[in-house]
Amino acid sequence: MSRHLRFIARTVMVQDGNVDAAYKILNRVLTQDGIIDTVKRRRYFEKPCRERQRKNFENCKRIYHMEMARKIAFVSKTNREDPWLGC
Amino acid sequence: MFNLRCAVLNSVSALRRQLVTPLNASVTLTALFQVIMLRSFQFQSCSYFPPLPGQESTLRWAGKKFEELPIVHIKATYNNTHIQLSDSAGQSLVRTSCGTEGFKNIKKSTPIAAQTAGISAAAKATAKGVTFVRVVVKGLGPGRLSAIKGLTMGGLQVVSITDNTPVPHNGCRPRKARRM
Repeated sequence: MSRHLRFIARTVMVQDGNVDAAYKILNRVLTQDGIIDTVKRRRYFEKPCRERQRKNFENCKRIYHMEMARKIAFVSKTNREDPWLGC
Repeated sequence: MFNLRCAVLNSVSALRRQLVTPLNASVTLTALFQVIMLRSFQFQSCSYFPPLPGQESTLRWAGKKFEELPIVHIKATYNNTHIQLSDSAGQSLVRTSCGTEGFKNIKKSTPIAAQTAGISAAAKATAKGVTFVRVVVKGLGPGRLSAIKGLTMGGLQVVSITDNTPVPHNGCRPRKARRM
């Protein structure tokens, strides 16, 4: 019935009995893979209109944050080649 | 998944190989080599991945391979936490939950109740002779971490943590959104 092998995916070994660190690593991996917020979102049904609005909003947010990060990285660069060299 | 210690270990072993081949043994080279040997003893088994059933690994816990260790299933719902210990074949050994510990209604959905359930499950398990255990967690509830903590406080050694939260690929429709 279960199509996947068990204890391969979403598994973290505990090093030196440090269960807290292993749990933290597992949590980080799950959030980065998007599983935690998928599970939270699926607790209640999300209507298709609300889903489209949310996806749109997340796209805009992602574009804004990437552009802002680019701008900040550019403005905070101190050593760069002289843009007016030669004139 | 990136493992910093394994990467450092690989770089350390590469550096060690580069140092051993030149035949001129200057004082600084041997001193550096001894420092690296000292450091390399600290990195023993630094893999966060579980030993796969196809590969032969030398890791044993109480003489058992990873596939033969008993499994603790922790079902952490929003209202309660169930803990069931079963052997590798699936035969159930110990079953506890926040309700069996005497908590009622809203007190069951607390991390403290999950911790007490974990402690009692670990006590019953050690009475049956279980030491090393793999943990499988299902659900995102309040008792998710504290149940594992309770198991370690009760005396069981956790070897690995697996997350088996069910994620449907658009299966059953969940209940309607709450309007508060």
